[in-house]
Amino acid sequence: MKKILEIALGIVTSVGGFLEIGSIATAAQAGSDFSFQLIWAIVLGGICIIFLVEQAGRFAAVSGHTVPDAIRERFGFNYFAFLYLVLVLVSLVVLAAEIGGVCIALELATGISFPWWAIPVAIVIWLVIWKGTFGVIEKGVSLLGLITLCFVVGAVMIHPPWTQVAQSALPSLPKHDSAHYWFGAVAILGASISPYLYFFYSSGAIEDEWNEGYVGINRIIAAAGMSFGSVISVAVLILAAMIFAPQGVKFEHYSQLPMLLIPVFGYWGYWLIVASVGIACLGAAMEITLEIAYLTAQGFGWNWSENQRPLDEARFSAAYMIAIILGILPSLIGVDPLTLTIFGMALTSATLPVSVVPFLFLMNDYTYVRIYRNGWFSNAVVIVIIGIAFVLAVLSIPLQIFGGS
Amino acid sequence: MDLMRDCLDKLLEDSAKRRMGRVDGIILDIEDGRQPHVAYVEVGVKTLLNRVSTRLANVVARWLRKVGIPTDPYRIAWGKVRVGLNKVEADVEAEKTPALEWELWLRKKVIGRIPGA
Repeated sequence: MKKILEIALGIVTSVGGFLEIGSIATAAQAGSDFSFQLIWAIVLGGICIIFLVEQAGRFAAVSGHTVPDAIRERFGFNYFAFLYLVLVLVSLVVLAAEIGGVCIALELATGISFPWWAIPVAIVIWLVIWKGTFGVIEKGVSLLGLITLCFVVGAVMIHPPWTQVAQSALPSLPKHDSAHYWFGAVAILGASISPYLYFFYSSGAIEDEWNEGYVGINRIIAAAGMSFGSVISVAVLILAAMIFAPQGVKFEHYSQLPMLLIPVFGYWGYWLIVASVGIACLGAAMEITLEIAYLTAQGFGWNWSENQRPLDEARFSAAYMIAIILGILPSLIGVDPLTLTIFGMALTSATLPVSVVPFLFLMNDYTYVRIYRNGWFSNAVVIVIIGIAFVLAVLSIPLQIFGGS
Repeated sequence: MDLMRDCLDKLLEDSAKRRMGRVDGIILDIEDGRQPHVAYVEVGVKTLLNRVSTRLANVVARWLRKVGIPTDPYRIAWGKVRVGLNKVEADVEAEKTPALEWELWLRKKVIGRIPGA
């Protein structure tokens, strides 16, 4: 009974914590520009993140190590330093995008311009991490994040052509704007396969004191949680394809977001969007902030745990405080959160091999995972999807920035 | 024992199992006519950066010294070290060593002054 409860809570928190500003923005933009055509990218990203999250949980449960911890040990400081710089840079861009998302939700709620919200949002993030435990952040915020299921309800209520939706789960070639299409696919893959997600998951497994007995539970949580989470992203895309695309509306600003739910829920649609975006981004911002601190502390062998007093882990606490300060800078100076989000997601895709390739080596290392090593199928799925994301990113990002098709 | 595989970069814990960093460097004692033997393990930012680039290590060390932060690596005699599975244990008390200098400075000067720490 206890195990069933753990699985249920794990799935619920995975679903509630899945959606963040990257998934919302990339899915909305894909739906408005290419109707249902890019659903395959969400499906592909969803499959990959299921495998990566399952592997990260299995690795932590069996080896007692987090992923960054083991990368430093197995690949030495030079590679770790490279990975650290890349991941911290990408994570800071994504953190800035998430903080921008919370600020936009507050702008929609109050009418006060989003840069004014940057500092209050930073204080709230800091306060929750400072005073809260890992359980509060992981489960509390994720449970509130279940409000994002309103997108799924909305997508069902709007009666999309389900046959076309199902057909779009298979990749197809673009009919127009090739460069933008592939860039959109890259951004969706980056939003789905965020390294912070599975690095954070492995740290969480250590915080929750998982052991080998959790391998089965972890498999169910990863598969069900990430699948349902991807369904929410597909729902956002369906809504954008049904509402924006037929009118030729391009999704170019977050102020357009309420239009996704108002046609379905009326007045309440506006407030559901505000609450969904605000809560989802706040949760993601806290997780990314913590992940930057985890990555730093684990890599350098410092004391770390969100369950300890800040005084007992001063460097860990200082790391997340610095991350928050750097994360609010773009919002403070008024950088467009949507541009930052799309750019951050594409950048994530382009840098995926830096963290995924060493992780796959670890998942096949007997000294860490013993008999729980990856099978050929798990390795193949991750390598193929990461390869596709990387190649698409390298080809499409320059085209998107400098023009071309 | 393979020093690179079993000791370098492994988590370093003190006698009370408190994390005190990682094994950033290993010092070998080499004398004429004798086999080299391990003398110390080192912990410190300069040792770490030396592994990336000596020039970078010198620049960072000079800058840290300018702002009053000591950069000499902390050495633990090999005799006080026990290499375990994916970790290294040192027979020292972490808080009394320079390995936790930054941690203690931050605790006293910054984090400890914030309410609720």
